[in-house]
Amino acid sequence: MQRYLRNMDWILVLTVAALMVTGLILIGSATHADAVASGQNRFVLRQGLFIGINIAVVIFMMRIDYHSLTAISKQLYIFMLVLLVAVALFGHTSLGAQRWIRVGPVTFQPSEFSKALMIICLASFLDKQREYMDSLKDYLAPMAFVLVPFVLVLRQPDLGTALVFASIACSMFWVCGFKVKWIGIAGAIGACSAPLLWHLLHEYQRNRIRVFLDPELDPYGAGYHVIQSKIAIGSGMLFGKGWMQGTQSQLSFLPENHTDFIFAVAGEEFGFIGVTIILLLYLVLIWRALRIALNAEDRFGQLLATGVTGMLLFHVLVNVGMTAGIMPVTGVPLPFLSYGVSSLTTNMVMVGLLLNIHMHQARLQF
Amino acid sequence: MENKLSAGRLKILLALSLFAFVILVGRMAWLQLYKGLYYGAQADGNRMRSVLLMAPRGKIYDCNGVVLADNIPAFVLTIMPGHKLSDDEVRRLAPILGMTEEDIRAKVAKAKETYEPVPLKTELSMKEVTILEENARDLPGVSLDSQAIRRYVYPGLASHVLGYVGEISEEQMTRGRYKGLPQGSIVGKDGLEWVYDGDLRGVNGRKTEEVDVRGRVVQQLAGQPPRTGRNLVLTIDYRLQKTLEDAMDHHLAELGVQAAAAVAMDPNTGAVKALASRPDFDSNWFVGGISAKNWNRINNNPHHPLNNKVIDGEYPAGSTFKVITGSAGLETHKVGPEELIFDSGRHWLIDMRNAGGEALGWLNFQRAFAMSDNVYFYEVGRRVGIDTLDEYARKYGLGKKTGITLPGEASGVIASPAVKQKLLKEEWYLGDTFNTAIGQGLTLVTPIQLAQMLSAVAAGGTIHPPYLVDKVLDNEGATVSVPARPAARSLGISEDTVTRIQNGLKDVTRAGGTAAWFSGLPQAIAGKTGTAENPHGRDHSWFIAYAPADRPTLVLVCIVEQGGFGSTASAPIIYEVLNNYLLGYPNLKPKAEGDGKPAARGK
Repeated sequence: MQRYLRNMDWILVLTVAALMVTGLILIGSATHADAVASGQNRFVLRQGLFIGINIAVVIFMMRIDYHSLTAISKQLYIFMLVLLVAVALFGHTSLGAQRWIRVGPVTFQPSEFSKALMIICLASFLDKQREYMDSLKDYLAPMAFVLVPFVLVLRQPDLGTALVFASIACSMFWVCGFKVKWIGIAGAIGACSAPLLWHLLHEYQRNRIRVFLDPELDPYGAGYHVIQSKIAIGSGMLFGKGWMQGTQSQLSFLPENHTDFIFAVAGEEFGFIGVTIILLLYLVLIWRALRIALNAEDRFGQLLATGVTGMLLFHVLVNVGMTAGIMPVTGVPLPFLSYGVSSLTTNMVMVGLLLNIHMHQARLQF
Repeated sequence: MENKLSAGRLKILLALSLFAFVILVGRMAWLQLYKGLYYGAQADGNRMRSVLLMAPRGKIYDCNGVVLADNIPAFVLTIMPGHKLSDDEVRRLAPILGMTEEDIRAKVAKAKETYEPVPLKTELSMKEVTILEENARDLPGVSLDSQAIRRYVYPGLASHVLGYVGEISEEQMTRGRYKGLPQGSIVGKDGLEWVYDGDLRGVNGRKTEEVDVRGRVVQQLAGQPPRTGRNLVLTIDYRLQKTLEDAMDHHLAELGVQAAAAVAMDPNTGAVKALASRPDFDSNWFVGGISAKNWNRINNNPHHPLNNKVIDGEYPAGSTFKVITGSAGLETHKVGPEELIFDSGRHWLIDMRNAGGEALGWLNFQRAFAMSDNVYFYEVGRRVGIDTLDEYARKYGLGKKTGITLPGEASGVIASPAVKQKLLKEEWYLGDTFNTAIGQGLTLVTPIQLAQMLSAVAAGGTIHPPYLVDKVLDNEGATVSVPARPAARSLGISEDTVTRIQNGLKDVTRAGGTAAWFSGLPQAIAGKTGTAENPHGRDHSWFIAYAPADRPTLVLVCIVEQGGFGSTASAPIIYEVLNNYLLGYPNLKPKAEGDGKPAARGK
């Protein structure tokens, strides 16, 4: 036990803890009106409860040997596909996308868990490839491996999760040695096939992109979220309006303020100073995750840690960019801050994995 | 793990992450530090709803304190600023308000451009208010507020004097006297409402509320109460106005004609006591936006009900012009007062005759005037010449606006060789002078000009230009200001001449005059008939009069378009009005009269 405590990446643990506490504070403010109406803040209580439960999950994830995941990666991959097909068949619709599945009293978002499964399965799959993947042929099988679940979530339609899969794959491929010139070629192909992709997108997704380019196209419809979010953040100025004092958040002008747009609440109530501190915390998180990847004892560990980094980085950049009006609205939550049990659990499992990898590298050093 | 490639690539990833975070922090700095005040204002615009509190307009009283225009509370439905009505709301509202969805959308489009609430419909009926209140939950984008709206107490009465109010137009907001007033402002559009808008309008107030996204009021913030406009006290006498309009209406109905104009004034001051134009309209029609039905009623009437014919109708003066011809002849001594001129039925130089073809023999001035003999006045015109006739027409104020404070006054025309050359490109003949001398031809006058002319005679040679507003009161009843009036001026005609004109006018209503049946009135009056030739149809009928004949207190002028002879159409109207005036309005209920203290009623 002592060894665990000594070899823990305390900076990572404290950073994540700080983010989660910040999340509780922000959720408390964002759902204040609901709490006043119902007498207790069920959102904060629920998020806090699951943080507690997930600490046990994190400890479990730390104690297992992450190498054992390789053995069940095939089963995990199949499980993930089943999950994604299930959500397509039985999931119920929220905001025009099928994302929720109800099991008894619990509703959860399979696409959140699929992100973690994707990282483990792809890391395991890539680990079995030859060490120096310097030919484009080496990437055909991994690409196909990613493409199947990618298409499944895209069909949900869940553009956000599909892009998360892509970001996970990209970060891992990058570390495997995916060549820069291929990226250029891929970019060119992507640009050429953009009209085709545009055709494949759902109308609401196309509108999101149109409105992202010019929110004023529909200031009360699709552009409303972004306009209100920018107003919330901008009006916070240097010091913010104070906790629970944000008019945009408290008077419900800011929609989804406890989930996808939680960062705008931070911007409005804690100002530039507040959001800079939060962004610094995320930067520390990314730094620690990359450091763990760098020092991982083996290739599997490195790929796992890289995938986690890619996923976290993508979430933060896209979510914060979205609230700040420089990224399209894709429905990606902000790790550890957004209210949402599925997202929280997934992210904590990932942190558990990181700590596990860190612990193994530390053991090697002794 | 030793892998230089992956280690290098992880470091690049870290560098890229750092770069991305720098961009995010930069974006935050842009939004919060550089544009912070802008977004702060936007956030306030979201949460603060500023409700315009329209100032009630000042009241309008007659000279005895009778309220002619006041305000009544009404409900108005406004679109919340910055809100878009959903299609669902528009669909719900259309049948409730009786508006088309397109009309509502047009107003919504206006509301988008402003932070002020935009009135969707003013003056809602109680039924509409009830339905709207029941459906308030489904209509978050609109707000139901109480507002004072204009009411003209006696519908249709003195509408050409009072004018009307309406919502400020798009064009008025950008230029002219109403520039800069907020959308939805109620402003004077015609009549005294227009001329004295600055006094009547008052100052709008506002209340500021903090609202949530559904428009529910969270708390009341600062506000400023509206300041009621100032009150006008007119020279109009409700009793005379009412009597005059009633008389016009039933006589016009009997005659089967629509267009007429009449004005009454006090010759000693210039105060206009009554003013009416037919066909007319009800000023109340315009409050809250005129309905299509009423607009068509106005628009499709060939006699232009909105026109105030007292000041903008230009007619030949007919025989009433003989006041001027007579003044010119007597004053220049070109004709002696007792000189006899022989009327053989036609003038000896040109074959121009009397209207009825009669021949009246030897006539002196007074007799010729009372009988309205044309041949006599042809000769007077010939002797003085057209230039002198024109000079006297100008002395009496023709060819020039009287300056009454109503919009759209016409100047009239004084016939002259130059005018004929300009209008018809023809030379001036003696026949033109003859025509001018008896008030036919190119000379055109407005009823208010004739009233001013006759007032000068009645007042013994002094012109008191007509005016309508006696004073402006504040809400405590104190006089704020007395509008400036044009100064009285002398006609520049000797007392002797004026007296002879007066005597001629008195004989018109005595035995042997053209309106002898006026002797049935309780007191003697003076007057003159006139028939204005109308090339487009029947002649227009004039009658001008003042009463009592000896110490005149009232001048009355009336023209009935296409009414025929002056004695047949206009004179009965004036007879009826003067009879009531001289008897002290026996038919009007005392209820309509004021207590003489306008301010005491101002509540």
